[in-house]
Parts: sequence; structure tokens; C-alpha cells
Amino acid sequence: MGEVLLQMRGIQKYFPGVHALDDCHFELKSGEVHALVGENGAGKSTMMKVLTGVYQMDAGEILLDGKPVQIHDTRDAQALGISIIHQELNLMKDLTVAENIFIGREPMNGILLNKRKQNEMAAELLSSLSIDISPTTIVGTLTVARQQMVEIAKALSYDNTRILIMDEPSAALTESEIEELFRFIRDLKARGVGIVYISHRMGELKEISDRITVMRDGQYIGTVNTAEVTMDEIIRMMVGRVIYEQPKEKSNVPPDAPIVLEARHLLSKDVKDVSFVLHKGEILGFAGLMGAGRTETARLVSGADKRLGGEILVNGKEVNIQTPADAVKAGIGYLSEDRKRYGLCLPLSVADNTVMATLHHFLKGSVVNDKKIREVSHTYREQINIKTPSVDTKVVSLSGGNQQKVVLAKWLVRDCDILIFDEPTRGIDVGAKSEIYKLMNRLVAEGKSIIMISSELPELLRMSDRIIVMCEGVKTGEMDISEATQEKIMALAAPRI
Amino acid sequence: MQSNANRKLNMQKLLAPAALVILYVFFSIFGKNFFGYEGFKQILQSSYYIGFMAFGVTFVIITGGIDLSIGTVMMCSAIIGGTAFTNWGWPVPLALVLVLISGLFFGLCNGLMIAKAKLPPFIATLGTMMVSQGFGSIISNVRTMHYSPTYVGDWFRPVFYISGNFPVGAIWLLGAFAIAAFVLNKTRLGRYNFAIGSNEEAARLSGVKTDRWKIAIYAICGLFAGFAGIFFGAAYTTITPGKGNGEELNAIAAVVIGGTSMSGGSGSMVGTLIGVLIMSTLKKGLSSVGLQAHWQTFFTGFVVIGAVLLDNARNRAANKVKIAAPAVKK
Amino acid sequence: MKKLFALVLALMLVLGAVAVAEEPLYISVISKGEQHAFWQTVRTGCEEAAAEYGVEMYYYGPPSESDIQLQVEALNSELVKEPDALCLAALSTESVLTQLEQCAANGIPVVGFDSGVPDAPEGSIVATASTNNQNAAALAAEEMLKLEGFADALAAGTPEAPVVIAVLSQDATSESVTGRTTGFVNKMYELASEYNTVAVQGHDLWAKEAEGAGVIIHVEIAATPEVTDVTNASNAILNLDGLYAVFCSNEGAVTGFLAATSGGNDLADGGLYGDLIVAGFDAGAPQKEAVRNGWFVGSVTQDPYRIGYLAVELAVKAANGEEVSDVDTGAQWYTAENIDDPEIAMLVYD
Repeated sequence: MGEVLLQMRGIQKYFPGVHALDDCHFELKSGEVHALVGENGAGKSTMMKVLTGVYQMDAGEILLDGKPVQIHDTRDAQALGISIIHQELNLMKDLTVAENIFIGREPMNGILLNKRKQNEMAAELLSSLSIDISPTTIVGTLTVARQQMVEIAKALSYDNTRILIMDEPSAALTESEIEELFRFIRDLKARGVGIVYISHRMGELKEISDRITVMRDGQYIGTVNTAEVTMDEIIRMMVGRVIYEQPKEKSNVPPDAPIVLEARHLLSKDVKDVSFVLHKGEILGFAGLMGAGRTETARLVSGADKRLGGEILVNGKEVNIQTPADAVKAGIGYLSEDRKRYGLCLPLSVADNTVMATLHHFLKGSVVNDKKIREVSHTYREQINIKTPSVDTKVVSLSGGNQQKVVLAKWLVRDCDILIFDEPTRGIDVGAKSEIYKLMNRLVAEGKSIIMISSELPELLRMSDRIIVMCEGVKTGEMDISEATQEKIMALAAPRI
Repeated sequence: MQSNANRKLNMQKLLAPAALVILYVFFSIFGKNFFGYEGFKQILQSSYYIGFMAFGVTFVIITGGIDLSIGTVMMCSAIIGGTAFTNWGWPVPLALVLVLISGLFFGLCNGLMIAKAKLPPFIATLGTMMVSQGFGSIISNVRTMHYSPTYVGDWFRPVFYISGNFPVGAIWLLGAFAIAAFVLNKTRLGRYNFAIGSNEEAARLSGVKTDRWKIAIYAICGLFAGFAGIFFGAAYTTITPGKGNGEELNAIAAVVIGGTSMSGGSGSMVGTLIGVLIMSTLKKGLSSVGLQAHWQTFFTGFVVIGAVLLDNARNRAANKVKIAAPAVKK
Repeated sequence: MKKLFALVLALMLVLGAVAVAEEPLYISVISKGEQHAFWQTVRTGCEEAAAEYGVEMYYYGPPSESDIQLQVEALNSELVKEPDALCLAALSTESVLTQLEQCAANGIPVVGFDSGVPDAPEGSIVATASTNNQNAAALAAEEMLKLEGFADALAAGTPEAPVVIAVLSQDATSESVTGRTTGFVNKMYELASEYNTVAVQGHDLWAKEAEGAGVIIHVEIAATPEVTDVTNASNAILNLDGLYAVFCSNEGAVTGFLAATSGGNDLADGGLYGDLIVAGFDAGAPQKEAVRNGWFVGSVTQDPYRIGYLAVELAVKAANGEEVSDVDTGAQWYTAENIDDPEIAMLVYD
């Protein structure tokens, strides 16, 4: 490992209502692979966005080779030799490897493209990196791993690139492809490139990284030498937060509560043989990292996606859920994590959104009874405290928390007994959060049953009666709230590669 | 449906009616015999078939879709009806029902292709446009069809077009407008129409059978094209096979001038009616000042572009509203 | 947006101010076209007559001869202006019946021109300035038969290898084109029957079946009058077995036919269709060239200038309350020999 390349010191970043980065540090040496870990929302991405100029820090300093630098936009970052490989690759699949590498700075011959030179330059670059890919291959025909290498080659083709940020590079790769990637990374190390490696996979950190920096809730927790720690210690650093919210001590569900929903062997592209039951009056938490298959499971239960196998039973009877309409009919309401895309018709009014699932109950003959719709919307506006000037206001102008309540109102009007809350508090401020929690508790007290998907462990521990943990499409564990701890959940949620 | 949330947006909506009044006053002053009963009657009479098409396609455009087939479907339906009473000896009223059924059928095919086979509306209706254009020629053996008294009887024009000097077609046009506006604003179909246009996936996840409603909406659009066929026949009596191409764009232009957004989710029938009248006023007005047809298309082009600029301004204003909501952290 | 409207309004103000001045007599001319050289010459005739008589004249021609709706629209718009007389070449008589009634009610005299308003109700048209299309097209059939060897060729046809004489028409809608088609078909049928058994095929309007026909008159109607469809129809004709002669019934048909024969080069001696006998109708530069080069044996021409001139002259007279009656504007057969004679050159427009 060489000399210190990059130092980020005392980085502060505020978003409206959120302190996203609080006095964060990061250091990278040349020829080092430095892993950056933390739960979802710990601040890893924000930190890297500050480094690549996507966000501007509010305080702190960035030093390159010991000299302070200013990074105002992504072009500044590139000029300083900082490149990022996103999880979603930024390649044009129908173009060749060479065209992708030199897009935007093609070698020209007057006004004509000099393809020959471009291919020669690409071939030279690829062979210097010992990547065995022809420059004229169409990118879309390559495996994901090899596409990734093309992207890395593209990053390194900016001849000054010294810092490479890799965001979950292994997420979409098979095991043998990961091996190939690691060989390549070691190669880069040998050339003195500093690599920031972001990953959830504890196992591979051990294998590839030299040092690990842990972040949690926007704070810097510590930096350790990989060789000197165990993975359990890392997990403890990741979750060992002060718990502001008191976790629930024991389940509120009586042992003899009837089962309202049962899923058996659910199967789809992203969900691998998942079974679970939900009792009346229960809040069932789903824990896991991003991409664990929780949302996909919920979408199968709510008919949003077609399932390849498995059965769904409501109140002991099998129901054939093929479309959302079937699920709604069976009394299952789904509150999506992305309410703007999947939950609301933003240009329409609060009232129209409130009755979206129940419009057929508001007909007088074939005429829509707007008076009754307004009355009902008004009732729910009062009941769950939707803050809106009137029920005729378009939902686009409401705040996130109030939009969430409109989606909830939609399912309450429908009188759904089973509600699936997918990340119900994402993007909502603290006050609105506790209101949503209160509402959920009230709903189960009234005999409704809730599935709650959340990436915030404290929230799950506070709300759930029982927790199911998923990882990479598989159910990896299930525990009563009385036995659940953050460490236990995290250990089950982290992929073991 | 159109809530009173943003007053500025509503001010912009007043521009179209204002433009209509300004155009009418302008041509009344400068046009030869433009002002008066005859001139007004002419504006109405050249609005009929465009109006019917425009009402139908307003539904489709509010879903965020497009129907390019209505012009040729209108002609094809009229030709099928004409063939029925000319060559197959059908009674005229029955043949008129066939005109409507033909329009409905083409619309239904569009709906099925778009909702079930998931074809992009542009492609599906482009195909139907060509199919219906060709089919009209095939079924009529490239013969012109006549909706004149010799063929359809003396009762036809007084019922659908003009009785004495009274433009009966205007009653039909206003009736169709009232029904279309009612359906759009007061029925489940209309409400889902807006929901699909503003966020189809959210509507589907709410249990709305979006596919079925979309099929119904395209079928309605086709039905209106069928009506347009009858009124085209009443106004111009002669239906030539292979024509109709381009009329759909006139209807779409009228819808756009009326403030319906091509991106879906917002629009109104009143706007469409005004858009149709603006097009007709421009058409009749320009010829009243001695300018020929190519000048009419020339100026209509400006109006369409102006209306879309307005649409964009409206969208920008709507986006500003979005940003005003509290920022969200992921 | 406001600025745009202001701009448009300002433009229209200027144009409107020009149009608003009062004229003594106002004559509306609603024709069947504008693009063809034929209609350009008609328009010149109209304009010169209008200038001579000191009247204001408005000329309208739809973009194509199938734009019936646009013609009706234009007619409606003109009637609102209450012209002193109307010259009309209707694309479809059926479509203008109400308007004719309206003219009668308002005392606007209607003069037909070119194809006029065929089968118009009694008394609705005061006079017509036109070519008799059937007679004019029959002239082509007569002239063909005068050609050396033509009669022998007809006689030589057998049921197994019939001689085919084709008629190419751009539509079966317009009265003038159908009239010419009928005129040629009937005359050719009549003349050829003297030499052989004749059948007419291709379109049910003209079809005449005959057992063991040695001569077939084939009528080909284009799908639409667009030049591409006329060209397709021409190709269909050129593919007929035993094709001997072709008659193109107007300038549109000639244009399409020339397009299908490499601009006419295939018709030259020794060309792909060097032996084919082709006759045209109307004029226009390409057709004149085809006649002059001998690619066509000849063509029939009307007198578009006189049609336009006489139409406006009749309208002015009618508006002034004079008695008027039909005028025949005549037709001539022109060939490579006489195309440059002054009396013919005047008739064949470019």
C-alpha cells in the first residue's frame, strides 16, 4: 500500500429536515481497496456523492495528495481523477466496446469519426488492463461482469483516474464472475489505483478489502484493518446505535389469534420459495437489505406481479390472485414504497385518490356521486389527520407524510383487512413518522393485520410482533419480537459470500 | 375534476375561449359577409365531423394515448354503410347502425391491441389507419359512395344536417358534446380515464381493471369516429375511398388547442369544443378574407404550436407546484 | 402565447385590409384542381376574362380531384359572400345539390365549366362551357383505328391469344374521366366489333362478357388518383398478356403511365415497349414531349384556356341578366406532325 491519496475530513451535509452527514471521515491510500459499509441510509452514498461532486458539502474539507481541492460538479471530480462505477451500469448496450469507452470524446478525422483509431486506442487500453475483449464487440452481448470491466476500462481511460468508486459491484454477478472481478481489482491495486468498495456482502469484504470504514445514521463510526477484525464485530459496529425508540418487548398478538393470510412457497424471478403466515391483529415485520426480495414478495401477494408458483390463502381459503383487482377483492391493500409511482395519481385530487379503489361504491346509477365522495374523503381526512387545504386539492401539492396518508385512506375506504406497508416512513419527517406508527397501532387494535417492510431496524423492532428476515430472495429467518435484536437480524440479512 | 387549486392555471385555460372570441370579432370586421347567421351557420357546419372525432379522441388523449386511425375509420365506416345501402340493399337506418358498429369495431381492435397485446398506441392505431383506409377501398371496389337524397332518401339531410335553414347538425354536435362531457366528468369511466392518464400503474394497483377501461375508451373513440362518418356523409354527401388520411390530425389539433395535454391526465371536453370551433372559425374566416385553403392550414399550424407551447407552460407551472412540496430525503 | 396571437392578428389585419375594398361584380370560380398544368391554363383563361370585363374573380381549386369535401367547404364559404355569379366544375354533383338550391333561392346564376355539373337538377345551371368528353375520347379510338395495321391486329386476335386494348383512368368518380372512359370503350367496342368478338373487362362499371373474344378492352382504374397509385395501375396494364394499345384518359393517367415506363423511354422504338400504341388525353409538358418523340401516337386535347375564359364570360353575362346558352369548347387530335401548328400549339398547354 502506498501513500495517502485522499482524505475527507469533518464532512457535514444537511438536507431539509435531515442531518445526512455529521462529521464524517474517510481516507484512501493508493493501491488500497477500502470498503465502506453501513446499513441502508447510513450515508455511504451521500458521502460518495459529495466526493464525486453530485452534492456539495456544507462543511469539511477534501484533500488530494495532501492539498485541499474544491469539487463543485462531476466534471471537477473527473478532472481530479475520481471515477465512479454505479450499480446500474451506464453503458449503451447497442454500441461497441470502443464506442462506449470513447463516447463524447471520439477521435475525429475532420468532421468524420475515426473508427479505426478509436478501435486501436480501445484495444491498447484493454490489453494494458489485460482485459480480453475485442473493441468491436457489441456491449449487450457481454456478460454483466465483462460489461462491468468495460465500464471500469472506460473510467480508467481518463488517463488521470486514480480513485475508483465501486458501488455494489458484485450485486449482479455470479460467484465465478465475482472471482474474475476480484482478480481484476487486484490488478488495479497493483497499478496504484485507490478503490472505494461499497458492499453489503460481509464475506467478500474479508477477501478483497484492506481496510473497512463503517458508517451509521450519517455518522462516522470507525475505520479498521480488515485483517484484524471479525465480521461479527463489523456488524456490531453497523447496528450498535443508541436506540431512541423503545423496542416492543413482546408480541401483542394472542397465541390463538386466527391466521388471516398464508403464503405458501411463493416463487418468482426475485422471490425464492417464501412461505409465511399473518395473524389477525398482528404487525409482521419484513427485514432485509435492499434487493432482498421483500418488496417483490409483497407485490406477489398484492397481485402486482405475476407469480410463477405458490399459493395464497386468505382466512384459510385459497384465493386466485392474478391481478391487483383480485387482491383488492380479497381485502389486501398494498402501500408501495414508491407512492408517487405506484400509489397515487398525483395530478388528481385528494378525494379522487381516496376513492380510487372503491369508485364502484360511489355510483348513483351510473353517475359518480361527487358529493358522497367528498363527504367520505372529508371523514378520513379528519380521522387520520391528512393535512390538506381541502379534499379537492391535488395530491401533488401535499407533503410526503400526507401523501402516504392519502394512500392509506384509499385502503381504509376499501375496508381492507390486510394492509402491506412497504417502507411506510421513507422520506417522511419525524413528526409524521410517529403519527404513521400510531395509526398502524390503531389499525391492528381495530382487528386489521399488517405486513410492514422496512429497512430501518429500530422501526421494525418498535412496531413488529414478529419479524421475518430475507436475503437475496430467500427467507433466512423468522423470530418473535421478544427474541429479536439488531445484531441477529443483521447477521441473517447479510449475504454470506 | 379540475380542481381550483391553482388560479394561474385557470387563467391560462381562459386563453382558448378568449382566442375564439377575438378571432370571431376580427373576421366579423374584415371578412366578407362573415358576421351574421349564414357565416355562423357555416362555422357550425364545418365543425360537425371534426367535432365528433375530437370528442372521441379526447378520451384517448387523456389516457396518455393517441388514436391516429379515426380519420380513415370515419371514412371507412361511412363507406361500409354506403355499400350496405347501395350495393347490398340494406334499409338506410340499418346501414347507419352498421356505420356506428364499424367505427366501434375498429376502436375495439385498437383497444385490444393496446391494452392486451401491449402495442404502443401510435403503432397500433397507425396500423388500423392503414387497414381501414385499404378496407374502405376493398369493400366498395374503389367506388364512391353517396349520402345524397337519391340514395338515402329525403329525410336524411333534415335529420342530420340542415332543415330549412336551420343547422340541425349543431343540435347533434351539442348533444354529443353534452354526453361526452357527462361521461368524462360524471361517470366511473371518465374518472378512471383521468386516473389512467395520470398514473396507470397506481390505478391498476388500486384494483382498477385498467386494461378493460382502456379497451372501452378506444372503443368509444371508434364509435365517435363512426358518428363522424355519418355527419361527414350528411355534410359532403360523397365519400371517396382511400381518403380520410389527415383528418385525425385536424381532430387531434382541435383537442390540443383546447388544452388537453398530450402527456395525459388532464383535459376537458369544453376545451375540445372550443378547439373545434377555433379551427372552424379560422377556416371560414380566412376564406372570408379571400385566403385559400393553404393559408388556412398555414395559420392553423401556428395555432397548434401556440397551444402546445401553452401546454408546456402549464406543465412547467405544475412542476413548480411539485417542487414547492417539502423536499424528500431517500 | 399572447405575443404569438398578437403577431397572427397583426398579419391578418394587413391581409384583411387588402381584401376589404369593394368591387363592382364578384364572380366565384370553383374548379376541380390547381396543380395540373391544365388547371393553370383554365385559371389563366378565367383571369384574363375577369380583367377584360373588369370584375373581381376568386378562383379555387382543391389540391386533388378526390378532395370533394374541400371543394364543398370552399363552395360553402363562397356562397356566404353572395357572389354575383358562380362558375362551378363539381367533383361530385351529389355533393353540391343543396348549394345549387341555395343559389337558385338567392338568385345567383351558376355556370358550369369543364366537366360542369353533370345531371344537375333542371334549371339550376344557366349554361355550361365544356368539352364533350365522350365524343372527345371517342376521337382517340377513331384515330387509333386509322393507324396502319391496327385493324389487321384486331382481326388477328384469337380467344387463346386475344389482343388487349387497355384504358387507364385515375378514378371512377369524376364525371369527365368516367365519360372519357365510356366514350373510348364504347367507340372502340363498336369499331373493333367489325373485326372480331370483343369483351370488356377490368371494372364492373364497363364490363361486357363475350364468348370466345379475340379482342379484350381492359379498363384499369387506379386505387386513388395519387400519382403512385396511377403508376401501380400502369404497371398492372404493362403486365397484361397480348397488350397492343393503351389509352390514358387524362393528364394524371399520362403522368402515371410515363412514370411506369421510365419517363416514356421504354416506349421509344426498340425500347422495352417500343411496339406499344399509346394515346393520351389533355396536354402538359411531359405528354407533349411524348407525342413529339413519337412515344405516343397522338393525344386528344381540350382547350383549357377557352374553358376558363368562356366560363367567366358566361358568368358575367348571366350576372348582367343576359340570356346565355351552352358553349362547346371543342377537342382536337394532335400528333408529332401537327403539334407545332399554330392552331394546335395554342390548345396544348405546357
